[in-house]
Amino acid sequence: MSDDIKNKKKPPRLANRFLRWYCRAELLDEVAGDLYELFQRRVVDKGIWKAKALYWLNVLMFLHPDYIRKRKYHPTNHMAMFRNYFKIGWRNLIKQKMYSAIKVGGLALGVAACLLISLFIRDELSYDQQYPEGDRMYRVFRVLNLPGETLKDVHFPAPLASTLTEHFPEVEAAGRILTSELFGAGSKQVRRADQVENIYEEGFAYADQEWLDILQPTFVYGDRSRALDKPNTIILSKSKADKFFPDEDPLGKTLILNNDENQPYTIGGVFEDLSTKSHLPFDFYMTLTEREFGEGEQTSWYYYNYHTYLKVEPGSDVEKLESKISESIVNHYILPTMQEARHADAEEFAKRLSIQLQPVKDIHLRSAGINDKLNHGDIRFVWLFGIIAGFILIIACINFVNLSTAKSANRAKEVGLRKVVGSFRKQLIHQFLTESILFSLLSFGLALLLAFLLLPYFNELSSKSLVLSWHEWWLFPLLGMAAAVIGMLAGLYPAFYLSHFKPAQVLKGGLSRGSKSPKLRSILVIFQFITSLVLIIGTIIIYQQMQFILHKEVGFEKEQVLLIQGANTLDKQLPAFKNELSKLSDVEQVSVSDYLPIEGSKRNTNSFWKVGKVEEDAPVSGQIWRVDHDYINTMGMNMVAGRVFSVEMASDSQAVVINQRMAQELGLKNPLGERITNGGAVWQVIGVVQDFNFQSLKETIRPLCLVIGNSPSVVSVKVNTDDMPALIEAVTSIWKQFLPHQSIRFTFLDESFARIYADVHRMVRIFTSFAVLAIIIACLGLFALSAFMIEQRRKEISIRLVLGASLSEVFRLLTQNYLGLVMISLLMAAPIAWYLMQQWLEDYVYRIQISWDVFLWAGLIATFITLFTISYQSIRAALINPVNNLRNE
Amino acid sequence: MKGTNLGEFEELVLLTVGILYDDAYGLAIMDEIEKRTGRSLTISSVHKALMRLEQKGFLHSFMGGATEARGGRNKRLFTMTNTGKQALKEAKELRNQMWQAIPKVVWEGGNI
Repeated sequence: MSDDIKNKKKPPRLANRFLRWYCRAELLDEVAGDLYELFQRRVVDKGIWKAKALYWLNVLMFLHPDYIRKRKYHPTNHMAMFRNYFKIGWRNLIKQKMYSAIKVGGLALGVAACLLISLFIRDELSYDQQYPEGDRMYRVFRVLNLPGETLKDVHFPAPLASTLTEHFPEVEAAGRILTSELFGAGSKQVRRADQVENIYEEGFAYADQEWLDILQPTFVYGDRSRALDKPNTIILSKSKADKFFPDEDPLGKTLILNNDENQPYTIGGVFEDLSTKSHLPFDFYMTLTEREFGEGEQTSWYYYNYHTYLKVEPGSDVEKLESKISESIVNHYILPTMQEARHADAEEFAKRLSIQLQPVKDIHLRSAGINDKLNHGDIRFVWLFGIIAGFILIIACINFVNLSTAKSANRAKEVGLRKVVGSFRKQLIHQFLTESILFSLLSFGLALLLAFLLLPYFNELSSKSLVLSWHEWWLFPLLGMAAAVIGMLAGLYPAFYLSHFKPAQVLKGGLSRGSKSPKLRSILVIFQFITSLVLIIGTIIIYQQMQFILHKEVGFEKEQVLLIQGANTLDKQLPAFKNELSKLSDVEQVSVSDYLPIEGSKRNTNSFWKVGKVEEDAPVSGQIWRVDHDYINTMGMNMVAGRVFSVEMASDSQAVVINQRMAQELGLKNPLGERITNGGAVWQVIGVVQDFNFQSLKETIRPLCLVIGNSPSVVSVKVNTDDMPALIEAVTSIWKQFLPHQSIRFTFLDESFARIYADVHRMVRIFTSFAVLAIIIACLGLFALSAFMIEQRRKEISIRLVLGASLSEVFRLLTQNYLGLVMISLLMAAPIAWYLMQQWLEDYVYRIQISWDVFLWAGLIATFITLFTISYQSIRAALINPVNNLRNE
Repeated sequence: MKGTNLGEFEELVLLTVGILYDDAYGLAIMDEIEKRTGRSLTISSVHKALMRLEQKGFLHSFMGGATEARGGRNKRLFTMTNTGKQALKEAKELRNQMWQAIPKVVWEGGNI
């Protein structure tokens, strides 16, 4: 008989499962039994395969409404149930004030941070998206692949734009702008022709009519298609127009720039401000019509000055166009020009050069490494911010999960009872999800308030002007959705966890000690700590790098140097002004030069050779700075050989002081007395100045030479005073004597120097803020968790105390567990942070080495914070009178 | 009334329940009908008929008789209720009356 059973064939398992799934429970037995009997008979009669097939067929034939299980349909009053869920949820929230506050508060902090960061990201992503037909607009840039480095630059010769329009049918239009301060872009003193008061304005650039036709800014006054086509016209932004011509139409009116009455500018139009939403920070565009910066500059392929934009015909294959342009322009225009100029290795150079097109929409975020002298966002920061936001949110959600599961003991009895009186698991899951969504909604409300209050600080932190767009219709639905989703995500695990309790067990009291899955909780705590530690380590390293840069020997003295800007309007009175300043007792030196060793001041690029070697040697690329006789002393630069310029030596007009780098690159072993040339002028080297940083420390020091020349915009005043305000007052009164109609504008060299590193500074502050935030949220969770754990172990602690454990022993018992977690986190966070920060430091030529003590410090900080967080609860637990906890046993 | 009608197949099933007396369950009923009529049935149609008959109150059922041959499953065993017996009788009576109402000549094959 038993053999018989073994030999019995089984009906197809899947069919059986299907039957069990759909068939009503009370009918299942008879149906399945009959089918089984039938199957066994058929196996004998017709063979196993046929029997199986027929079994399937029979199973399918029972698919009839009478046999199909009624899906559980609870004719309960859903509204009432949900009302009950809310009520219980609310009561729980009120009953455990501390835990609820930490749950809601932590999540609110996280969400507020996320909100602010989303605003930031949205703002960054919205740059340059507003142009009509923007997806057909490109900026031209060139890429030079040198061994070891890739140089990208947007500056092109003037004729590129017209060449592109003429020779490439795919190019609908091409236009240029010129942003170099060398040619008068940048900042200027401005006044209306009918007024005398000069006002300092920044954001000047040159543009041609074609460029205007491509970008198509919205015009408030004037006709855009003819705004810049006449010589000496200028267009300005709405905000500037309102400033100079309040409540009037400025069209056709005249502006005087830099007090130059010989060349007035006629206003050709007023456009809506672009600057806050575009990569172009300019408010004034002067026309390029009939403008030429030097003989033949407009037709020569030798001078790289212009940013070129183009618009392609609809449906053009841009990649193809790009390679066509690159091939043609490099080989037919750039290469011949270089050969003509007898550039050494011209062909090699041309081979390494290519021209590419960058979508205008990408300029703001994806211009890393492209030299265009504009300030950009960086897609990497957008990513970084997004990731940080995500992690902070995850940390906050972890608190939520941890606290919910930890406190499950308190809810277990409720779950048991609900099950006993007929609740399904699904309903319980609904209940806990409802509760967590309730928490999440509360958090979002609070987060919105927090975000609103913190927005001004965040704006300062990120140097943005973000606003919460209350009036946008999608804001609240979106936030509501986000709250629901986050509530669901955070509540999912607790909901499934809490609802799985077996009523009998729970009601017997088997779970009174709370959930026994500290493993998961530990993992989540470790995750929180890793995130916090990475942020702490990142902050320390960025801070160290910042300090390193700001205190590095830069080769000049940046303290106590006052820079007076806009002195070019003094014109012929400049020497007298300088003389007056020198007479002040606290003033040590005065120098006039626009070329300053800080980024953002005047720069140029020249090629240098030793005299007589122009044809043989490759040129050394470097700068010529036009300075006066007092420059080197005013800046406190060190001479390593030779002498500084001297007023007594008339021949010094042909003399040059070079930096060490220049001497090295030109191969001058004994530079004094050597003669160098830039192809035109010839100078004799009279001194060598020690290398000093004049670019950001992200770059190496480049060759440089100083010559006597006229560059009259900036007066540098080296002072030695303890009473800076008095000195400034004295300087201002002298200025007033000379220029009563122009207010004085000054900065300090060290401040301007520090401003170069504003982005690093900003990184430090942002990282610090986020690190602090992450730590606060993680600590909130830890605080609540430890409080809860101690509550659970209260009796144990009391017994230990009764048996003679000392306070410190109890304290150690309660804290060592968490310290272990911190150590594990540190071990895991260190390599991650090391790798990330190494990537960041790659940007700097002058950088610190990451040393092991950073990790030690981070570990100490984390340990200290952890101890601080949990010690309050632990000490309180250890100090309590054991009787209180034990007597009701 | 719709509920008390006895269809042809239902009548067969009801009769078979009577025949099988103490072992009337789905598969046995199908076998019996197949044996007696030579028709080929599907098990689901028999089950459905049984369910209908029970709903109409002609049959009464209880669970029992699990065997190895059924993989340990219970059978639903049917017995006729009084209403069921009554319905069968009425059906038979009705038929008899109608039989008798047929003129003899029909059987004798006379032409009209």
